Formats: sequence, structure tokens, C-alpha cells
Amino acid sequence: MNHHFSSPTRRDFLYGLGASLGSVAFSDLVAKETAAPLAPKQPMLPAKAKNVIMLFMEGGPGHMDTFDPKPMLTKLHKKESKSTRGLETGFKFYVGSPFTFRKVGQNGIDMCDQWQHMADPVVADELCNYRGCMAESLNHPEALFHMNTGSRLGGDPGLGAWATYGLGTLNQNLPGYVVMTELALPQGGPGNWTNGFLPAYYQGTRLRPEGSPILDLPSQSFKDRNHQRQFIDQLAFLNGQHSARHPEHADLAARMESYELAYRMQMEVPEVMGIDSEPEYIKEMYGLDQKETAPFGRQCLMARRLVEKGTRFVQIFSGGWDSHDYLENGHTARIKSVDKPMAALIKDLKARGMLNDTLVIWCGEFGRTPDNNKRGGVYSLGRGHNADAMTMLLAGGGVKPGIVGATDEIGAKAVECAHPIRDFHVTLLHLLGLDDNKLTYYHAGRYKQLSQFGGQVIKELIA
Amino acid sequence: MPAHPHRFLPPVLLSLLAASVLHAEPATDAERLFTLKVGPLLKEKCDGCHGGDPDKIKGEFETTSLEKLLKGGESITDVLVPGDAKKSFILTSVRWEDEDYEMPPKENDRLTKEQIQYLEDWIQAGAPWPDEAKQDAIRVAEAKKTVTDDGVILSTSGGLGDDWTYRRYKPEDVWAFQPVVKPQLDLKANENPVDHLVSEKLAAAQVKPAPPADARTLIRRIRFDLTGLPPTPEEVEAFEAAHAKNATAAVQQLTASMLDSPHYGERWAQHWLDVARYADTGGMSNDYERSNAWRYRDYVIRSFNDDKPYDQFVMEQIAGDELAEMAKDASQKSELMIATGFLRMGPWDPAMVKNEEARQLYLDDVVNSVGQTFLATTMRCFKCHDHKFDPLPTKDYYRIYATFAGTQIAERPADFVPEENRDGFEEGRAHVKRLLDFAKAEVKKLVDKREADARRWYAEHNLPYKDEEARKDDDDEVKPPRHCGLSIEEQGQLKVREQDVWIWTRRLERYEPMVQSVYNGPDPKFLNARKLRMPDKVQVTWKPASHILTGGSLEAPGEKVGPGVLSALGVPVGSIEADPYLIPDDLSGRRLTLAKWIAHPQNPLTARAIVNRIWQQHFGKPLAGNPNNFGVKGAKPTHPKLLDWLAADFVEHGWKIKRLHQMIISSQTYQQSTRHPDVEKLLNDDPNNDLFAYYPVRRLTAEEIRDAMLAITGELNPELGGLPAMPEMNMEVALQPRMIQFSLAPAYQASPNPAQRNRRSIYVYRVRGQADPFLEVLNQPGTTDSCEMRDAAAVSPQAFTLMNSDLMTDRSITFALRLEKETKALDQQIERAFELTFGRAPTGQERQKMAAYVNQMRNYHEGVTPKPVTYPTEITRSLVEEFSGKPFDYEEILPAYENYVPDTKATDVGPGTRALADLCLALFNSHEFMHVY
Repeated sequence: MNHHFSSPTRRDFLYGLGASLGSVAFSDLVAKETAAPLAPKQPMLPAKAKNVIMLFMEGGPGHMDTFDPKPMLTKLHKKESKSTRGLETGFKFYVGSPFTFRKVGQNGIDMCDQWQHMADPVVADELCNYRGCMAESLNHPEALFHMNTGSRLGGDPGLGAWATYGLGTLNQNLPGYVVMTELALPQGGPGNWTNGFLPAYYQGTRLRPEGSPILDLPSQSFKDRNHQRQFIDQLAFLNGQHSARHPEHADLAARMESYELAYRMQMEVPEVMGIDSEPEYIKEMYGLDQKETAPFGRQCLMARRLVEKGTRFVQIFSGGWDSHDYLENGHTARIKSVDKPMAALIKDLKARGMLNDTLVIWCGEFGRTPDNNKRGGVYSLGRGHNADAMTMLLAGGGVKPGIVGATDEIGAKAVECAHPIRDFHVTLLHLLGLDDNKLTYYHAGRYKQLSQFGGQVIKELIA
Repeated sequence: MPAHPHRFLPPVLLSLLAASVLHAEPATDAERLFTLKVGPLLKEKCDGCHGGDPDKIKGEFETTSLEKLLKGGESITDVLVPGDAKKSFILTSVRWEDEDYEMPPKENDRLTKEQIQYLEDWIQAGAPWPDEAKQDAIRVAEAKKTVTDDGVILSTSGGLGDDWTYRRYKPEDVWAFQPVVKPQLDLKANENPVDHLVSEKLAAAQVKPAPPADARTLIRRIRFDLTGLPPTPEEVEAFEAAHAKNATAAVQQLTASMLDSPHYGERWAQHWLDVARYADTGGMSNDYERSNAWRYRDYVIRSFNDDKPYDQFVMEQIAGDELAEMAKDASQKSELMIATGFLRMGPWDPAMVKNEEARQLYLDDVVNSVGQTFLATTMRCFKCHDHKFDPLPTKDYYRIYATFAGTQIAERPADFVPEENRDGFEEGRAHVKRLLDFAKAEVKKLVDKREADARRWYAEHNLPYKDEEARKDDDDEVKPPRHCGLSIEEQGQLKVREQDVWIWTRRLERYEPMVQSVYNGPDPKFLNARKLRMPDKVQVTWKPASHILTGGSLEAPGEKVGPGVLSALGVPVGSIEADPYLIPDDLSGRRLTLAKWIAHPQNPLTARAIVNRIWQQHFGKPLAGNPNNFGVKGAKPTHPKLLDWLAADFVEHGWKIKRLHQMIISSQTYQQSTRHPDVEKLLNDDPNNDLFAYYPVRRLTAEEIRDAMLAITGELNPELGGLPAMPEMNMEVALQPRMIQFSLAPAYQASPNPAQRNRRSIYVYRVRGQADPFLEVLNQPGTTDSCEMRDAAAVSPQAFTLMNSDLMTDRSITFALRLEKETKALDQQIERAFELTFGRAPTGQERQKMAAYVNQMRNYHEGVTPKPVTYPTEITRSLVEEFSGKPFDYEEILPAYENYVPDTKATDVGPGTRALADLCLALFNSHEFMHVY
């Protein structure tokens, strides 16, 4: 039992919500104390996974156009649909998938032909395709918030915030919760990886794809590392004098330590990001040599490097999956951009013996509808937002490979092993050795938890 | 209105009384224990998973009857053994003694020791389960006793069940719902009531207060506290002299002059805006500009500066539009309309949401916001069910919800008032116009190209040309293909430019005499946040139909409700005798009636809530620990008598906030040092300083840090109010592409002149989807949830920003230039730097070390040439187009940087200045600058 997860008093004091000014994130100094916010903690339950890499396909990939084939839709193609679900109103018609499918690997995972590298049995045999999740929201930001924070309204802590709150992180010189996006932020922006009501230590750190990976990480161009060292020394002198005059202010030492940590991170972060040092075959495997796959490949490779160095939770966003029209072009290009890097990530983790305790998740914020409405008066071949069905891939981290759950014959609705997002969240925490009902934080009048009001573990997903 | 009406018996109880006559058999203690304690406990804690829907029963075990309990579950049968608690597994389970059966499984649902004891006693007594009629009789007999050992019953409009309605509360738990009683104080001559009540507790704890703070500490504290700005060295010197002569008079005079400063309002409005969640955009998927939100921000600043009575401030924000109909002149009318901006502060966008749901999202948000802000009551907690802990039935939630049911959001006309700053209108309009014209021209180019191709198509098919609108509904065979003549890239570009036209058209409304406001009327058929207008004709006879929404769901309307207030407070609102907590249900006037009830002198929550917030801003911690939640689960006040005394006194003297500041600042409690002789012992015995035995140190807020630096470097433009200010933002973030519904949001462009940029931080343009990274990293709160108190957690990214950012580098260089201008010798420059930053001279050792550092850095900088900084006037954007799944490019113009006057950069100054700037940067990074003592 972990009573300290729910006691507000002592923690409020330490974390600076009361009169105190709080201690410091990522700090070696405070890490030595048991109360250090990011020091590694024992899981509550036997954990299957230690780390998570979540690949988020923003916009919502079509389940029937990736891993959940619907031959019935092909038969119904362009026939009128009377469905009242989804946002679109007026005349609607069914849309058959433009892709053909085949079964791969010993578990017979369905994949459209667009997936080339994921179909490699070395990868496919690790995959669990979960078809039962239901999103509840029809609009992007609400659904993104829901999948990433458990709350449709936003403002609540992200998945990685809860994970690091519960487990701490293994390398105090690196952020424990890292987010990588494309150049453009997803809808809802940093609200998807906020610490919410949890203390600021648990906020996701976004490693920027261009420019400085963390804002203002490098010194000004005219100041070298030695200059930075001397600057911190002078600051330490001034602060030391000051602290001596103010013994009542116990947290000052921790604030000074945050500068020392920053100094170390200035070295360590670029080192992790320095993927040039990787051997050529690895770069080739992740697709860094091809224009289409290089951006996502670089981020997948970085995710592996971060987890290897002790980062707890990595999330990567890939945009452009919102195919209301021109589905064939859109999904072909998007699948191509992630296929090789994802397959490489799973292979690489496996080869390094890291897949056992690293949970890899591939998902979007919702699925797509089997039908579409006309756009500008013409049959537009795309799909609307579907809150009742979607598809996910899971690998490693104690997940059972195979197909779990099912959608109906046109993919309108999850019908087998159907669960709301909160159950998926509870399961994710469970794999990490955390009990959603016990991982709580007192805020605004009640003990809050990721699932909001509790949920259940989806046992079928667990090995 | 009478202060407190007679608590009356609700009708449910009367019917129960009738039923009870039929039962003569007296109840045993064990039966009473079951009816009053154990039965409700099983219902609340167990039935959720072990009762109700047969498909959802866990472990084949039910707790809904004695028979089922005796039967047990699939694996364990000895759940309940009457008369033998030891053998009854249910006790093992609720004590969490068996790892596989920890019940209830949620940590925060666990039974208390007391509850476990009830269960044990009941089992030992043979586990009797009386029939329903007998239970009713027991409950009726119990409900007649308002006060028992178990606590008090608070009369309310009634819960969904009798268990809830007759629930008892510990009086100390429901302190906030009880009337404010002003304690009689036996004050000594010249004794401050604050000190009287604080020292009462100190004496009881046998702790002495800290000694008084010295004059230099005090002026810095008061200056930041009241204006958010540091004192100048000259002010420090003058105050020190005055303080030495007559400390009381000096503090009084300083306080008075700071309260008279217009910067007072800027500092105190910030807290109110944190609570109200001020932003210049609407958030969510589109993050549309709320073009006139800045007028509400300035209204709040003016209200603080004018020392507007707080009750009036409350009423204007909740019902300004209704009051405006009675306004004496146009200017007052405008002011009242602007005030209703409060009701528009939450994030909201109806895009891709059904109309009714969008309305519900708005109403839930506004109800919660009004409750948290004015009544320190988190309303969300009783939206789906009766409040778990507080005497707040869900019926009352929907009564307040009904009060707002006819409140529609709209931009409405409101003339500018003379106090409003309208500087920069022409320049701003020209800038936006330029961007709008560019977007329009780009749209035209693409549309012309498309239509040229359409004409060609029609000609080829021997059909007469129709424009896009006219041909929309034609069959595919008789019209050209959609997007004809445009490449995939151009199709994407057209969508981007069309969205830009919207954005800039909307932005132009900033300069119009309009406000983000509300009106009373029926729900509009169509909602789109980019343009919300009041219809010309509003059906005023319309009345909303309001229901309890069971479980918070629109699909499950329950009992009908009318507009009303929180019944547990015992403050009547209307003239309906049967139910004094109902508001007359005319469409108009509902909010005004609610507002008057909130601002009523007898309302026990309102004055306590604001007094608590003011106290918190002075001391860095409130008297009652959760300023947005005074409920049973909120932290109890450390000084309940003091809170009540201040609240009562505040109301008696006309709800004046400046008077309250004076009283607090003139107290010894406020003026004591941060250093306590027994600090070690106190940190152990009273770690949260609940005794206020010393003045708590606080870190400057994000806004104070930026504003204070600008004041110290001499760059601060002290102008009041007006359009959102656009200071430089980290360039990587300013140009960062940001997805909105269909496209990318335009880049953030700073104002071209330093004076426009160097306004106080409260005026900085606040975009929900794009926080200013400097302010954000220093714990500026988000704009989704109300922020009752700033966090000051120190995280490493702060160190990066404070050491390496352009903003800090620029400030340090400007500071160095100021020092060089004012004095020549390095030693004097160091002295001046310390005085400006810390309000004190450097020590001998500091002088020596800092001089050596500057000299050493001069050598370093002599060997280095900084790179010049450039500002782009256009950028190429890249976006993934859904049509093709491929990225396409387009150009965005940044006219603000065409005639841009940058701050002085490292390239503009020599090695000597850069070396001195290193010292300045160290001072700005230091603990001493960052904290108020």
C-alpha cells in the first residue's frame, strides 16, 4: 500500500504549494531524499513495463484503412448510408478502403499492403492489435485531450505526468517525460503533455525538432562553456552569501542546484540527441536516409536513446491522419512516413533486450467512420470522425501479441472487448505497476486519478 | 429579506412522519445502528459493484439484502456471520487485510476506523436488518433531532434521496456555510485586530512572533506587494529616514501613496484575472480571438484603482448587462457591459460539437466559475449527484444552472469610456489591414485561377458559366471538378488564406466599440465562435425549460427545476414563500437576483472568500487553505476568528478593499521579519507557518520578474491599459507553427518599437494556445482552470531561460548601458547595480569579487565577436495537406519586422559593456532579486 500517494499535507509542503518555495526538479541533491519528486520509486504492483514509447497519429487513422479490414465496405462502396452517428449530416455514402489487405506473422495480424516493414514477422509477431477502444469525443482537441490526459476538457495531467509522478525517472540529468512533435504542434498544444494539477516537475518536456531542443538550452552564441561555468560560479557566490543571511529559507540550496543541473543538461541533452554517432546500419534501418521517413525515424531513434538512458515516458506525434477526403493519397503517404521507423524501433528494442520492459503504443485520438458525406457536391473519398471505434497497436512491455476485440462488419462500432479510453489508461498504468485507484492526487476538493472516476484493467491485452 | 428564515421541514419529511405512526414496535440500538449507519454505508461503498445491474455484479456477491450478504460470494462464503465479527470476512476485507480483497478498492473510498467500528458492532449485535417501514420510522425519529452527537442536519432544497437530505455534518466541517459572527475583541489601545487574533494563537502555542523587519526589507515588501514593482534607491533612502523617525507614520504614508498609484490596480487585477482565467482568445480547436477582451482586463484594473465596493464589483460582473438597462448614462452603460466579460472568460468553442452540448459546456463552465470565484465553492462536485461531502444537493446546481439557462454569449456594442486607453488604434488597424489585404489578394489569385479553369470547362461542354456558389448543388456531370485548375498545393494554400481572412477580419474588431458580453434570450439555432451576435429581435417572453440532468447527462433530464440559489446557506433570495431559495423565472433579471444574493451582507461565503484571497496575496498563503473551495474537503481556516472578524468588518465598512490592505499592512504580523530566532524549531513544529510566526518569503511572480527588470533597466513604459501589448517572445516560439482547426495560426509578431513592447506584463497578449514561454516557465498559470494561488516550483528550464534567453541577455545589456551612463568607475557601477536590484549597497567582499569578475569577463569578451541578430520579414510555412498527405509550402508576411527597432544587442556594444552585463545578469538570476522578504 502506498499511502504517500494520497496524503496532501506533507507533499504540499515539499512541493511548494504551501508557504514553502518548493524544491527542484531533476536534482541530484534532492534525489537523495526520499521525498524527491522525480527519484525512482518502487511500483505499487509487480510491473511488466518500465518505460513507455507512445506513437501518436494525430488526426485519427482509419482503422479500416490500416489494421482492421472491412470487405463489407468494399461491397457497399458509394451506396447510401443512413447512419446518424458522427458529425456529418445530410447525404452520406459508404466508402470502401482503397487498400488491399493480407494477414502477416504467426498471429495473422491484418495489415494493408501499404505496411511493408511492419509486416516483417520479426516485428509483426510482437504486435497486439486492439480493436475495442472507444473515444467518446468527435472533435480533435477534446479527443486528443481525452487520450492524452484522461479528460476531454483539457487541463489535467498527461499520461507521462502520471507515470513519472508514480514512478519517478531513472536519469536525473534528463527529463523523465519527453514529447516530440512535428514542427507544428498538435491541436491543444502543450495541453496534451501538461502537468495539470500535479506539481510542475511532472510536466512533459518537448524536445523541439528544429532549433534548440529545449528552449534556451544553449548559451548565447558569444558565451562559451567556460563562460557559463564562471557565470554559475559567480551566481553561487552571490547566492551563498544570501543563503547564509537567510537560514529560514531552506529551499534556496535546491534552487541553486537547478543551475548546476541545467549546466549538466546542456551537455547531456545534445549528447542524447546526437544520433550521428549511431552506426550507419541503424540510421538506415530507421529510414534516416530517405526524405519521407527521416523526420519520424529520427524521433523514433531518439526515443530509443532516451529510454536507454533512463527516460520514463516518450511520446511522439505524427500529424496529417485526418483524411476527410483523398484518403488513398493521404494514408499512403502517412503510412510510408511511419512504417519503416516504427518497425525499426521495435526490432531495435528487441535486439537490445529492451522490448520486454518497454511498452510501445501506436494510436490516434479516434477512429474513422465507414461513410462520408459529399464535399462541394462531389463524392469525396474520405472518412469522418468516429468515437465508437478505432484501432491500436501495442508491443512489448508485457502485452500479449495477437488480435484483441473486434468492430462490427462495417467498422462503425467496437463490439467485442469494447472499452472506453479510461480502461485503456487503467491498463497502461497497470502494466507499469501502478494502480489507477491508488495513484491519486488531491485537487479542487477531491482525490483525482487518471481515469477520472476509476476503470478496469483490460485483461485480454496482458500476457 | 430576513437574515435567516426558520429552518422548515421539507415535504418528504412530513410524509415520512405520517408513515411512522403505523409502527409501534420500538427500535433496538442495533436496528438504529443499521438504519442510520451501516445501511447507508453498504449503499454508498459496496452496492456500486455488488448491487444493481445484474451484468455488472462483481464476484457473484451482492450487498443489497441480509440474505445476499449471508449467502456470500463465488469464492468466500463467510462474508457475514451474525454475532461473530471475527469470522466475518467483510471486516477483513474493509480493513484491507487480505491483498486480494481490499474493499472498497479505491484508496480514497476506504472506510474510516469509525465506519469499520459501526460494521463490527452491528455484526456483533447479530446483524439485524429491519424492514423498510421500520427503517423509515427510525429515520423520521432521527431527523427530528437537528443536532445529535453525530453532527447537525443542514436544511437544503433536498437531495436525490433521504439519506442525503438528513445527512449530518460536523459543525466545524461546514464552517463556511454558517453565518459570519464577528468576534468581540478586547483590543488594547492602538492594537491592530489582526495582531490581536494572530498573537492569541501564538500565545497558545507558546511561540513568540519574529522581530520587526528592517526598513529596507519593508519598503521592498510593500512596494512589490501593492504595485508589483521594486522601489528605486531614492525611495529606499527616503523611506529609511522616515521610518527611523516614526515607523508607523512612514508605513502608513508609504501604503497610502502606493494605494494611490495606478500601478496598484495592475498588480491586484492580476490575481483576479488568474481566478477568472483571463485570455485574449477562446482556446479549443480554433482559438479564435476574443477581440475586445482587453477591455474587461482594464475594467478590472480600474475597479481596483477606484476602490470599487466589492459587492458592486460582483454584481457588475455577473449581471452588468441587466444593470446596464438602468444605467444613468452611456459611459456607465458601457462600463457595465464591459464587466460582463467575466462570463466570457472560460475556454469555449462549439466547433464540431452539437448545439445542446456546446451550450451545456458553456453553462457548466460559467456555473463553476461563478461558484469558485465568488462563493469559494467548486460547483462541478455536485453536477452529477448530490455533493459527496458538502450540504449542496444537485438540485441547487441545476437551480444555478437554470439561472444562466437564458444567458447567451455575444459580442455587443459598447462605446469607449473616457478612461480607456485608445493609443495605437490607427497603427494597429493599419497593421491588421495590411495582413488582411494580403490574405484577400492571395485568395483572389487562387479563386481567379480556379474560375478561369471553370469557364474553360463550361465552354468546352457548351454550358453557360456559373460561379462556385451557383453551381454547388448541380450534378457532377454538369459542373467542373471541384478545385479545378488548382494543384494540390494551391488547394491547400487556398484553405490557409481563407482562414487567414477570417482571422484578420476578426482581429479588426479589437478597435471597434464592442465587448465580449452576454444577453438574455432563447438558444441560437447555430453557434460559431468566430462570430456571435445578438439577434435584432429577441423573444423576451421565452422561458428556458430546466431540469436536473441525471448524472450530468443531457440525455437524462430528471425533475424540473427553476432558477435559484444554494439553499444550505439559509439566505433567502426570493419572495416565494414555499421555497425562499427560488428566483422568479422571468427570462430577464435572473442573474441580477443571483448577483444580489451573492453580494448580500448575510451571505456567509462571499465576504469570507474575498478577504481570504486578499490575505493570501499579502502573505503568500491564505487563512483558509483552498480559496476556491471552502467545502468540507477544503483546508480549514488556520484562524477562523480572524477570517470572520475581517469578513464582518469588511462588509460593515462598505466592502472596501483598500481599507483592508491598510489594516493588514499596518499590522505587526505583516511587518515582522522573515527571520525567526527559533527557525529550526518552527520548521519542525509548524512547517507551513500556520501560526504566521514570521513573514513568509515568496518568489516573485513571472510578471513581477519581467516588470521589475524593465523598471531596473529603465525601459519600463508605465502607460496604463489599452490594446494587448506584443513584447518580443522567444523567436522559436513566436514563429512556431501551431495547428488550429483547418490551418496554421499566423505567427506572433512583436511591436516594432521598444516602448510598445516594454509595457507591464499584465497587458501582454494572452493566447490560450500559445503561452509566452518566459512567463510560462516562471509558473504563470494556464488559462483553462481557475488559479487560486500561484505555484513557484523551481524547475531546470527556468535556469535555461534566466541564463540564456534573448530577453534576459537584452535586459542585462540595457542595464549595463544604464550603469555606464550614470557613473563611470567600475566600483560605483557595481554599487549602483546592487542598489537598483536589491535596494542595498554591496558588502566589501561582494564589491571585490564582482569587480574581479567584470575585469575577467572583459578579457573574455575582447576575444569574441557576437553574431548579429536578424528579424525575418517573411517566412515559408509548411503544412501537411489532407488531400495528398504531403507537405506544401506558402509564404507568410511579417510586416512588424519591416521597420523594426530592436533592443540593444550584444553586437551594438563593446567588450566592456558585455562584461558589465554579465554582472547584471548574475544579479537578475540571484535569489535576492527573485524573492521578496
